[in-house]
Amino acid sequence: MNVFVIVALFAVFFLIIVTDLMRRRVLMEQYSLFWLGMGLVLLILSVFHQWLNPLADLLHIAYPPSLLFLIGFLFLFGIMLHLTVVLTRLTLRSIRLVQELGMTKAEMVQMQEKIMFLEGNQHDNKTIERA
Amino acid sequence: MNDALVIIPALNEEKSVGDVIAMIKRAAPVDIVVISDGSTDRTAAVARQAGAFVIELPMNLGIGGAMQTGYLHAHRLGYQYAIQIDADGQHDPADLPRMLEHARNDEGDMVLGSRYVEKTSYRSSASRRIGMVLLATLVRIAVGYPIYDTTSGYRVVNRRVIELFSRYYPIDYPEVEVLVLLHRHKLRILEVAVEMKERQAGVSSITMVKSAYYMLKVSLAIILEMLRKTSGKGRLRT
Repeated sequence: MNVFVIVALFAVFFLIIVTDLMRRRVLMEQYSLFWLGMGLVLLILSVFHQWLNPLADLLHIAYPPSLLFLIGFLFLFGIMLHLTVVLTRLTLRSIRLVQELGMTKAEMVQMQEKIMFLEGNQHDNKTIERA
Repeated sequence: MNDALVIIPALNEEKSVGDVIAMIKRAAPVDIVVISDGSTDRTAAVARQAGAFVIELPMNLGIGGAMQTGYLHAHRLGYQYAIQIDADGQHDPADLPRMLEHARNDEGDMVLGSRYVEKTSYRSSASRRIGMVLLATLVRIAVGYPIYDTTSGYRVVNRRVIELFSRYYPIDYPEVEVLVLLHRHKLRILEVAVEMKERQAGVSSITMVKSAYYMLKVSLAIILEMLRKTSGKGRLRT
């Protein structure tokens, strides 16, 4: 049991969870691509970890598994940046929705008042006619 | 319907909003909309009683979101001028006809009611003055001419600015950022002296704890604004 086996098992487990979440429509495809990408890259690099050694040498990383963690970290940074962009978009949309809702409600109240006023007038006219 | 709309954003201002509306009605022939930003007191009822059109937001959006609601309303109903006045009573409606006159004469796309352009009786704390001087310096660099009271919330704007604000308005601490936004859109700002009174009720939304965040956020917003181009490529529309 070494670190590569653990990472590989984790990656498999992780990919299964992500796929299941997508299957149940709990996670939208557009937000899961990052996760799938990270899971696959970690899986491939931990299974074929002999590929890590020359890459680690190239980057002056003495302990090759560190490269695995570095890649994981970079993915996480990307995912978090993506999330805050999505969050910003959602915030702006919800603000606009609240604004529209407030304006629509105010217009409805105004219309109701006008209708009540008109109905009142109609009523008055009828009583005048009867008199 | 008048051609000018006063926008009063209000968060729990039941004590002062009625008087403010009454004073505005005496001062100038304008329509008034109060945006109750998720108030939990009787702000909406008091404002309606005083004769304002009231838009109640179902949840609190913060000053920018509330103010923009007013601009959206003004834009859709086709108002030529919109006026921002605080609900706490610190802006004197007596200055309104004069500010509106400057706007009608097209002396500026925004007429800014200022505490500092001439000597008025307004005084504020030292730390607040330092912050304001810093912001004023940054704004001066950004727009190329001095604006003395960058944080004043007493403003009259014309149709062009209403249109712009209905598309984009900063979410929080909008006052200073908006000045640079206008400059980028080649819109003119005219600063005129007004009297500022002590607020009738409530406290300033900017406490000491928030000051650092305020300075940081506003400075960053100004710098970002300077990095934007109006007619360039990309997805930037405002």
